[in-house]
Amino acid sequence: MHRYFLSRVLQSVLLLLGVVVLVFFMVRITGDPASLMMPRNATPEQIEAFREAMGFNRPLIVQFWDFFTHALVGDFGNSLHFKSPALPLVIERLPATLELATAAMLMAILIGVPLGLLGGFSPGSVLDSLARLVGLLGQSIPNFWLALIMILVFAVRLGWFPSFGRDEWKSVVLPAFALGLATMGQIVRLTRSSTLEIRSEDFIRTAHSKGLLPRTIYTKHVLRNVAIPLVSIIGVQFGYMLGGSIYIEFIFAWPGIGQLLEQAIGWRDFPMVQAIAVFTSVAVLALNLLTDAAYMIIDPRIRYGIRE
Amino acid sequence: MKRTTLLLSLLLAASLLVLVACAAPAAPAAPAAPAEAPTEAPAATEAPAPAGPSGTLVRAISTFPNSLDVPQTAERQASTTAWQMFDSLVWFDDDGTIVPSLAESWEVSEDGTEYIFHLRKDVKFHNGEPFNADSVVFSWQRAAQGNFEYSTHWQRADSVEKIDDYTVRITTPEPDALFLSIMADNWAMIPPGYFNEVGQEGFEAHPVGTGAFKFVEWVKGDHITMEANPDYWRGAPKLEKVIFRPIPESATRVAAVQTGEVDIATRLSAEEAATLEGLEHVQVISYPLTRIFYVAFNNLTTGVGQPTEDKRVRIAMNLAVDMDAIIDAIFDGHAKAANGMVASGELGYDGAPPFGYDPERAKELLAEAGYPDGFDMGMACPAGAYTHFEEVCEAIAGYLGDVGINIDLQIMESGQYWDLEAQKQLPPLFGDSWSSAVGEAYPRLIGSLGGMDFTYSAWYDENIAAMLEKIKVTVDQQKRAELYRELQAYMREDPPFIYLYEPVTFEAVNTRVKGYRPRSAETYFLFNVSVEE
Repeated sequence: MHRYFLSRVLQSVLLLLGVVVLVFFMVRITGDPASLMMPRNATPEQIEAFREAMGFNRPLIVQFWDFFTHALVGDFGNSLHFKSPALPLVIERLPATLELATAAMLMAILIGVPLGLLGGFSPGSVLDSLARLVGLLGQSIPNFWLALIMILVFAVRLGWFPSFGRDEWKSVVLPAFALGLATMGQIVRLTRSSTLEIRSEDFIRTAHSKGLLPRTIYTKHVLRNVAIPLVSIIGVQFGYMLGGSIYIEFIFAWPGIGQLLEQAIGWRDFPMVQAIAVFTSVAVLALNLLTDAAYMIIDPRIRYGIRE
Repeated sequence: MKRTTLLLSLLLAASLLVLVACAAPAAPAAPAAPAEAPTEAPAATEAPAPAGPSGTLVRAISTFPNSLDVPQTAERQASTTAWQMFDSLVWFDDDGTIVPSLAESWEVSEDGTEYIFHLRKDVKFHNGEPFNADSVVFSWQRAAQGNFEYSTHWQRADSVEKIDDYTVRITTPEPDALFLSIMADNWAMIPPGYFNEVGQEGFEAHPVGTGAFKFVEWVKGDHITMEANPDYWRGAPKLEKVIFRPIPESATRVAAVQTGEVDIATRLSAEEAATLEGLEHVQVISYPLTRIFYVAFNNLTTGVGQPTEDKRVRIAMNLAVDMDAIIDAIFDGHAKAANGMVASGELGYDGAPPFGYDPERAKELLAEAGYPDGFDMGMACPAGAYTHFEEVCEAIAGYLGDVGINIDLQIMESGQYWDLEAQKQLPPLFGDSWSSAVGEAYPRLIGSLGGMDFTYSAWYDENIAAMLEKIKVTVDQQKRAELYRELQAYMREDPPFIYLYEPVTFEAVNTRVKGYRPRSAETYFLFNVSVEE
């Protein structure tokens, strides 16, 4: 068990190093921040002086080493746009993003799992059709489009929810649904297909013939087996939601990390982009590790390193 | 049977989706229910007296301010937001004329390098600190020595000295015609005592000025709140509270003004503005921005030795493009054909007719210049930087093709584009735009025509340079306006650009808002604005 987990930790650390390297060089492909930061009628000398002051005129490898050694201790430098340390600015936005991602994930689970189970238990029924529909729509509707349509219908036309911002509990409903629908679709599909599969397993038939109550069979035997793939989906998707809700936060003016990233890229705010990328990578990797740990609790075969 | 159920439910869902999608764009035309409901409850409970400030105004802005400390604000919407809390010594009135603000009056020396400002004596900062000569000296020292976005604006002054408590002397190294305009645009006065107490960080977290509104709170990425300064020296403002909400997505700004969640939504496109027509509680206003779009010629690097060195060719290219048709087709008529590089409303704008569309004359000129069969040339434009600019560039390439000039058009990612522009490595024709916030065209002209001395310039003409030098040192407004007119005439005879258009911006304003008058360059002043309950 320890060996399995340790190797996963080691992999995560290596991955993170890879991310740090990639992010550093990729943001620099997009061009020179000096041209965006300086007033347009700056003279070439003034722009050169700016590069000098910011250290952008040093060899890339020197800049990288500087960034890397500082990043190790959590110092990503000052945001070029806000002129203050980048990491605290990112962490300041974390509660909003966490709230949105949690709400989206809760919606996805609370609607997705029951629907998938019901669909899986009675294939071909109306409920099953609904489950398949949600699965299909969740995977095929682009979330930015859905977000705009929901604003028009539920905020402008019906007036049920605010169209933007993070002011009251109602504010989170539309963005969370738009963000969570894709995951909901995945959860429905996965739950439904696993249920279908497990339903026809021998041990379920045995349980039935033992005279167990259907409710007991669902919760004790089916749900537990469905839970394994579900946990992995939830873990991975939650990580993506933390870093990847750029469109949704942008459209709903949700003051989270995704919105900050959108702005930072526009401003070529290298330190900010780097801080966000590394921060979200850490979050995704940590969630993956947690998912692995959760497997071990749910499934003893994984716990003891037994392979089928 | 089961298959049909599934099919049916799928069909049903699909039709529902289509319904929703179709209904959505029509929504604004329908009498939306929430529109009639009273908008946000005005926070008037604390100030029931009819004379005092009342009501809350919510303004949606399209970007997130980087700072509310004026010399550090990185773009227009940050600075116009910050300015609601500050004053400078001088100010622009609605006509763009420099008028007194914290300075009651001023004198300029004969040689134009020394200014004596007489300050108002009845002004207090929001924290109660008195405004006086020391505040002016301190504000200048801090911003000129700081490494701020706009420190250069303060470094235009050599020295700022206190003569007595309410008189300051300011000197510039040479006559500086733009000095007062730049002062109005960036010299926000701050309280020395408070600043020294809280430091730079503390000041940014809670800015204090002399302005009509006082800082209340700033939740990053979410909102900025200000409240009325009842002791404002111009008198108490009419609004009790102002809230600024950054909403980057314009479709969401449109929705929020429809629902009444915001009172003013800025930076809308013509199409978005059109969707708001017919709504009773929303008024759409538009005004030209002090920005000019152009296609630049290059005689410094890539354009050397090219046909465009001949001014007849450049005139021909101006005549070959049907700007009015482009504006009608692409902007639905909502833009103004530019007649040069001075925007309407800027000092010395001569109002002459633009080149107009005359392809026959263009062909004649090309033949005269020795290109009866035209020529090939490269052109570049930035992608995603400006509304519909890619389409404009394609249309221009088409029009030039009609007179025999075959354009190889490259649309590039804007970041890469501006890097190449700064290195003067773009093709000999390139499209861009340039704004100016100081009420006149000088920054745009010198920046785009300053030759090798300026980063984004691709052109040098010694006559233009000489005229710009004169404009720079002529402090007298009348004379400077005359010089601008002379320059405009010259730049039509020997055009360094294909002049395109001045864009128009749209704002949606709830009809309960009274007295709101935005100016070009997007500046506005909320002091006189009120909201009906």
